[in-house]
Amino acid sequence: MPVSGAPHAVAVPWGYRVGRWEVREPIASGAFATVYAAKLVGAAEPDLPRRAALKFLPTGTRTPRQLRHLRELAEREVEFLGRLRSPRLIRMYDTLVVDDPEHPELDGATVLVLERAEGSLDAVPAPDEPGPLLAQICEGLAQLHRAGWVHGDLKPANVLLMKDGSVRLADFGMAAEMEGTHAYAPAFATPDYTPPELLWPEVDERGTRVRPSADVWAFGVLAHVVLTGSHPLPGGTTEARSDAATRYARGVAELRLSPELPDAWREIVEACLSRTHAGRIGTETLLRRVAAAAGVPRSRGPRAWRRHPLVAAVLATVTLATAGLSAATVAAHRSATSPDGTPVYAALPTGSAPVGVDGEAVFRYHRCPVDTLCFFSEYNGNGLMCMWTDDDPDWQSGTHTCPWAATAPVRSVLNNISGDRGLGGVAYYRGTHFVPAGADRNRTAQRTGCTGVNQMGNLAGTYAPLSHKLVSSCSYQPSLWGVLSSLW
Amino acid sequence: MYSVIIVPPACALPDGQIRIGSGERLTFGRQEAPDSLTITHEGVPRVAGEIAAQGTFWLLSNHSENQTYVVENPEGAGEHIKVAPGRVDAPVPFEFSRVVLPAAGDLLTFDVWAPRHVVRSVARRGLPGTLTAPAFTLDRTKRYFAVLAALCEPRLRGEPHAPLPAVEQLVERLRPAWPTVSRSAVYWNIDYLALKLRLRPGPETAEPGRRVNGKKETLVSLALRFDLVHEDDLVVLAPAGSELCR
Repeated sequence: MPVSGAPHAVAVPWGYRVGRWEVREPIASGAFATVYAAKLVGAAEPDLPRRAALKFLPTGTRTPRQLRHLRELAEREVEFLGRLRSPRLIRMYDTLVVDDPEHPELDGATVLVLERAEGSLDAVPAPDEPGPLLAQICEGLAQLHRAGWVHGDLKPANVLLMKDGSVRLADFGMAAEMEGTHAYAPAFATPDYTPPELLWPEVDERGTRVRPSADVWAFGVLAHVVLTGSHPLPGGTTEARSDAATRYARGVAELRLSPELPDAWREIVEACLSRTHAGRIGTETLLRRVAAAAGVPRSRGPRAWRRHPLVAAVLATVTLATAGLSAATVAAHRSATSPDGTPVYAALPTGSAPVGVDGEAVFRYHRCPVDTLCFFSEYNGNGLMCMWTDDDPDWQSGTHTCPWAATAPVRSVLNNISGDRGLGGVAYYRGTHFVPAGADRNRTAQRTGCTGVNQMGNLAGTYAPLSHKLVSSCSYQPSLWGVLSSLW
Repeated sequence: MYSVIIVPPACALPDGQIRIGSGERLTFGRQEAPDSLTITHEGVPRVAGEIAAQGTFWLLSNHSENQTYVVENPEGAGEHIKVAPGRVDAPVPFEFSRVVLPAAGDLLTFDVWAPRHVVRSVARRGLPGTLTAPAFTLDRTKRYFAVLAALCEPRLRGEPHAPLPAVEQLVERLRPAWPTVSRSAVYWNIDYLALKLRLRPGPETAEPGRRVNGKKETLVSLALRFDLVHEDDLVVLAPAGSELCR
């Protein structure tokens, strides 16, 4: 077996150029890949950040570790990041392949251009109050599972902390898309975070069968580690802890969690670390209980971030056409903003980069708290934010105002109101007191727009509403008045 | 979830094998009892000893009054450990073991396998963090690894669709490095590899010949897909000490 003496899986010299990027210091190194800091060379580009993290996977034909499974892992990660995007998953800007015959050890390497984080959870001290952090990790898992994927390697090293304190899940080389009740994952694992049934799993040519409950187990271990600083299973080595896990799974040993674990979390960790996959708590229930334990307002059901850029494009087209009278556009708007049972993350066609209205801005919808309605001054949840938890008949007076919207348009919206409340959407109007005004009156629905629960999108950005109310559904009954006034 | 397999004397069939998990114990001796291995020989004590699975290895207790037990490594060129009478929980480090009990002039044996032995790459690369490890660990010094290398050889040499070698061909290929190799030894190692790599059992309805072939096919595709064998590993097929004899 070729054993490299280099300290990193892939050694890239300082200052090395890949595409538009110049490599700086190494940030992290795993078994298969090394991540380097990088800065953008030349003029700024709206689609690219100044700083990024480059993940090098040695997939070249002449790299010393020319290994088949690495190509498979790289393909998996590229496919995953190309198809799924959500605020709790690390963002990929681009993929490159090194073309450099002078450096045979790098030639052919796959490079993922990723969002730059401050550090991973195992490298930076956890915050004093880890509840919200765990809640965000759980949100990330829920987003993945709703999309029909299993992470397969959740652990502190794969949880990244961003400058603004938010969390991103990373490292999707083990991620696998579900086929029915399970997915096929490559047969690699981090034993300390692997559920007992996968410590000695059966395999076939396609790999190991994993279920989302494997991520739930890993979350339980991770929560215990973050909250108490110790592993939930006893033992001084990984092998000893794996052994303890298998004994526990066989029912010959009990789970003895650390007494330091706060009571609110004890039940959650126990529910994650159930002996069998079938006994483990489901991801959605877990998310609710974690949110409650973390002191985040309760939320239920698929939450926001079910972001499909194509939907945003449709939304933008529709709102651009506000002056028009086309019933087809209105129908498109309705289908774009009402829950229609499609998967949370619709798959993007392979090879088509998701392009928002403004190119590829950073998504910052994650700032919007649970059970809240948020309007933003910039696209994709950027800029200033005004938020409400209920109706507001007048944005510019009363106890709660949105000063920037008096002079600037609203460019994006996220309806993050909890599904628990049974409210299907939020309708917004150019007039106060939910009265249509201006261009609203030309629209069949007699309002500026309506955004369903868990929906987000960019607006054309030429106006700001003056009032909004939460409604049971974004569907509407065209009234005679509406039809008449639309013909006006 | 077992970690140690006890193979009673003259028992090659999986049905007779006893599997125990970490923390479980199994006694052996003349006495017939549930959860024990019965050795019917007048020279063996009623309770002759005990095997305890511990993590990925196992412990041997010698309950006899005056007989020393020997645990041999059948692949270890005479490597063995001795467990004195009365010794409790002596750790056994071998993946394959043959326990030898002296009994009234006879030497009785049974085998114990510890297929969950973990072998990790020593290349631990810089920077902290828990390592993501392959789920399969093969010991490159074992005969099963040579069998797997011989099985994969045609495809590793750059013929992706080459037919798999037949058992007779494997025997010929393995003989330089392993002079005593036989057809049954090759079959045994193929079966052990399937156990070690936890192949999902194929349909039991297939004829025996096809089953062996299906097993070989699965082993090879798994080994190549997960890089369990590299072209460099084919050196295990070269005669031992050939560099010195040249």
